[in-house]
Amino acid sequence: MTANQTPPTRVESARARVRELMAPRESGVFLALVIFFVVMYTVSPIFRRPFNLITILRQISVTSIVAMGQTLVIVSGAFDLSQGSIAGLAAMVTAKLWKNAGLDPPIAIIGGLGVGVLCGFLNGVLAARFRLHPIVMTLATGAVFLGVNFYITRGESIIGLPDGLTWLGRGLIGPVPALIVLMFIVAFLMHVLLTRTLFGLRVRMIGGNLKASQDVGMNVERIRVGIFTLSGFLSALGGIVLLGRVGNALPQIGQGLLFPVVTAAIVGGTLLTGGVGSMAGTLIGAAIMGIARNSLVVLQLNIYLQDIVQGMLVVVALLIDQFRRGELNWRIILGRDR
Amino acid sequence: MSIEHAVEMRGISKRFGTVQALNGVDLELRRGELLGLVGDNAAGKSTLMKTLYGSVIPDAGEIFVEGQKAALRNPRDAQALGLAMIYQDLAVFNNLDVAANVFTGREYTRRVLGITFLDKKRMYNESEALLSRLRINISSPKLLVERMSGGQRQMVAVARAIGFDATILIMDEPTAALGVKEANTLLDLMSELRDQGISIILITHRISDVLSIGDRVMVLKGGERQGVLNVEDSTLEDVEYLIVRGRPDGSG
Repeated sequence: MTANQTPPTRVESARARVRELMAPRESGVFLALVIFFVVMYTVSPIFRRPFNLITILRQISVTSIVAMGQTLVIVSGAFDLSQGSIAGLAAMVTAKLWKNAGLDPPIAIIGGLGVGVLCGFLNGVLAARFRLHPIVMTLATGAVFLGVNFYITRGESIIGLPDGLTWLGRGLIGPVPALIVLMFIVAFLMHVLLTRTLFGLRVRMIGGNLKASQDVGMNVERIRVGIFTLSGFLSALGGIVLLGRVGNALPQIGQGLLFPVVTAAIVGGTLLTGGVGSMAGTLIGAAIMGIARNSLVVLQLNIYLQDIVQGMLVVVALLIDQFRRGELNWRIILGRDR
Repeated sequence: MSIEHAVEMRGISKRFGTVQALNGVDLELRRGELLGLVGDNAAGKSTLMKTLYGSVIPDAGEIFVEGQKAALRNPRDAQALGLAMIYQDLAVFNNLDVAANVFTGREYTRRVLGITFLDKKRMYNESEALLSRLRINISSPKLLVERMSGGQRQMVAVARAIGFDATILIMDEPTAALGVKEANTLLDLMSELRDQGISIILITHRISDVLSIGDRVMVLKGGERQGVLNVEDSTLEDVEYLIVRGRPDGSG
């Protein structure tokens, strides 16, 4: 009844909006990110330099872009383990189209993205129409894509790429690196796709309850193909951005991308069994991984700890996940659940 | 065929391998009544309802819905005729909110630039209206189903069926996994729906449920119809006698 009695409806709806954006799953990891950030910001003068913060964003951008695709796939109840190979193949095809076919950089990039779409479509058809298990299937197609990459490049690098090909990875939009802008655009569009469109709802449905989805009479096959195609496209986009960051086209580009990508999704709260996950969460997951990696550098710890830290973070994320779903509790851990 | 019947099944038979699951079963569901379907395990209750819902094709027999002969090849055929079945293992999406569940398969959408967006506001508003019309006590259509009790999930499934303009509801053991209070709330909802003109078949082991809210009760035993009793002039013992012993006269 005093001055702070603002109109309740507006406060309520604002709170509801915040709650919707920060569903409990994301709020936990978001809190972890904030704490981690504040601690690092306080203890390390190097960490809080604007240049360093921009560097972190640059480092997580490729991972994030590809991880948005992986999140979509995992929410649908599947996995795409061929993403790294698609990224590499798309990057090399882009470079080759410029170097050997003499195409303009933008056309070469479109060609590279096309390769990603094609690879993703193939994955989708194998998963949906031929009902192959996505984990082993994409592991196999990933090997094929990598093989095609090395076959057409004979394992040789293409050195000295033109600005047109490296702009996505190195260019600036005003003062901001283009790839950071691209990361946020992709995150926003994928967030809208997953939460606001019929397609996104279908993805969450088939990941949440496949049998019920089939009973409803939706076209599960077509949705699956769409999911994998999009994953292929984003993998290719990530590969082409990586091409720009590296500056040269190395055939092994994209190898080693898969683990951080899956990690970002899992740390970000994507449920491995499908149905639940968000692009915001994945972005937060990627940021946590990025800060973890950066802290090793700025605190002058051994950078080779990176893999250990990354691996442990995933284990912790999985444990939290098990607790949340009620699959695990202290009684089980202590062996009293007989 | 009589138009007072929402559903009429004539001589339904079904054999699975060597087991005669159903043997010439007749069933009449009057419009706006709540018919209990009871019997021991393997009496054929669920199989009979699956034939009505199109998920089991009978070897012999005819089915009439609202007086019209129905060719039911799958559940979608049944749904098109206004039938809805709510199973024990619920076909709800636990990872989605109430509104998404209520509108599953017939979402409101808007096309912008060739992309189909969900009209969430409309779905929230209409599911809220539907819930309050059915007097279902769920505080918000934005609630995630995974945070709900078993009874509330059943009610979401019921709301979904009614939202699809179902006029004939088949409920398979809806109260089996519920506590007493929740079961009673669900039973209240069912009699409410019946009063609103929905015809309901309730498969249950809990005969007292049928006797408290049902109009008639039909007993199956060994895949055969044993009799149909009016709830008003029947006791628990009458029904149990039929379930265990079968028809008093033993005639075919």
